[in-house]
Amino acid sequence: MGKENPKQHQPSLHESTHSLKGTFIAVMLLGIFILVAWFGFYALFLSR
Amino acid sequence: MATNQLPLAKKDARLYMAFMYVTYTALLVGGLMGLLQTLARSGKYTLPFNINYYTILTVHGVILGLVLTTFFIIGFQFSLMEKTVGISDKQRKVAWLSFWVMVTGTIMAAITILIGEASVLYTFYAPLRAHPAFYFGLAFVIIGSWIAAFVNFRQLYVWKKAHKGQKSPLLAFMVTINMLMWFIATIGVATSVIIQFIPWSLGYAETINVLLSRTLFWYFGHPLVYFWLLPAYMAWYAIIPKIIGGKLFSDPLARLAFILLLLFSIPVGFHHQLTEPGIDPTWKFIQVVLTFMVIIPSLMTAFSIFATFEITGRKKGYKSLFGWFKKLPWKDVRFLAPFIGMAAFIPGGAGGIVNASHQMNALVHNTIWITGHFHLTAATTVILTFFGITYWLVPHLTGRRLTPRLNKLGIIQTFVWTVGMTIMSGAMHIQGLLGGPRRSNFSEYAGGEQVATWINYQIAQTVGGTILFIGILLMVYIFIQLTFFAPRGVEEFPIAEEEKNAEPTPKILENWYLWIGITIALILFAYTIPVFDILKHSPPGSPPFDWPIGRG
Repeated sequence: MGKENPKQHQPSLHESTHSLKGTFIAVMLLGIFILVAWFGFYALFLSR
Repeated sequence: MATNQLPLAKKDARLYMAFMYVTYTALLVGGLMGLLQTLARSGKYTLPFNINYYTILTVHGVILGLVLTTFFIIGFQFSLMEKTVGISDKQRKVAWLSFWVMVTGTIMAAITILIGEASVLYTFYAPLRAHPAFYFGLAFVIIGSWIAAFVNFRQLYVWKKAHKGQKSPLLAFMVTINMLMWFIATIGVATSVIIQFIPWSLGYAETINVLLSRTLFWYFGHPLVYFWLLPAYMAWYAIIPKIIGGKLFSDPLARLAFILLLLFSIPVGFHHQLTEPGIDPTWKFIQVVLTFMVIIPSLMTAFSIFATFEITGRKKGYKSLFGWFKKLPWKDVRFLAPFIGMAAFIPGGAGGIVNASHQMNALVHNTIWITGHFHLTAATTVILTFFGITYWLVPHLTGRRLTPRLNKLGIIQTFVWTVGMTIMSGAMHIQGLLGGPRRSNFSEYAGGEQVATWINYQIAQTVGGTILFIGILLMVYIFIQLTFFAPRGVEEFPIAEEEKNAEPTPKILENWYLWIGITIALILFAYTIPVFDILKHSPPGSPPFDWPIGRG
């Protein structure tokens, strides 16, 4: 086995990042908020 | 190039502070007008000295929507350019020229409005006619901002020549995108002002094509709101991470978001004209689709911000799902004020999607819901971020420090603003859904039943407006302290760095020919046929109207 190239083994940002579970949940909640708001106002439009 | 810790040279700081003086003078004057408006609309207060409601409404919109924003943005962006790519003596001189041209235009427009010769609101819709000096003043403000744009372009160009093969600094790239968008967008309103309004207001042209003037205004009017928003995004992407002790989340993501905003901010003006009878619905539909494309970079931004917060918190050792959120620097006003701005953009953005949806636009068009909407987006998201920038930018420029006392006062200011705006903007949204009109002075409209449901919301707006004015006084006080009285010292100019092992940024993101080409192609696609239709099929033009509002 030859000498390892340290550059190859330096983890890239995406390998080394910490968990982004909180971010995932936060953006999903944001998406749900936008959809609920949109359909809510659409219902108001239909009811008038 | 100056480093982040070292203060800028006095001659540079003086230039950027000049823009800040105009900004905070505008805040005080424009804010006072806003207070008077909400008082007048409560129906319990008559404006003194026979002041016309529409005069103060115009001052409020022009001074805050056009003057404050443009001066703050250009001053802030100049400071970003100097910190990242530098400024030469010649560039500084031309930058001063841009400042004075803009000031001249502002004074011309302001005097014309204040003497009651331009009560045409900040949208200056034809056929309302203002005194020609108002339009000349606006033209000068735009020309001054173009000079600033070309100085910025030159700054980046000189840096790129000296750093062949290197990617441009992120903030310099963002400033260039914003000024490109501004330049392309203002060509529309400048064309309308120079070719339509000025000859018509001088009496050389008897009539004006109203539909064309409104179309050219909104070709500019929507990117205008992104011109306000992008500097806030610059702070969110590239400054806030530094303030919270983190790193840039992703340089390529930030650049791509800005490119998408450049592409999709301009060919979308028809979503402000959905009730306009003279435009083919097919083209309205196409522009609505393009408008919805802007949601993509907005959500990319939201994702990036959450991720920055989470990664920074996890690096500090917080393991639970949202533990990182609790530990953000809530007591640092440089973070808190922009954070509340970000939070306000969630309902603000959701409301924007409602406004741009054709059917639901019928629900809210020309109601005070719209006013509530842009007081959330512009007057909360953007302005609180600008305040957040002020807390470190001004002391950095004046060689002073943001003391714990001023920081605390800033936190109080942020809460006052949040409470005032929640009440005022909330009441505007609800009253809008009940059919309450925007723009108009207090009226009982001959005692209609529906009208009776509005008054309590108008009084709530007075309460909110009064609280906001207290917030303005506080902010102006903090600005004066940071400028003249805070203790001498060094305040950091926070610019976030990339992770050492960050993925490289693809070169295509800096291919200006490509992105400008696509921007122009999209504009030509979205506007060529409808504008030809407008020119060919418009009804006869309108003579000017000076009454009931306009001149005198």
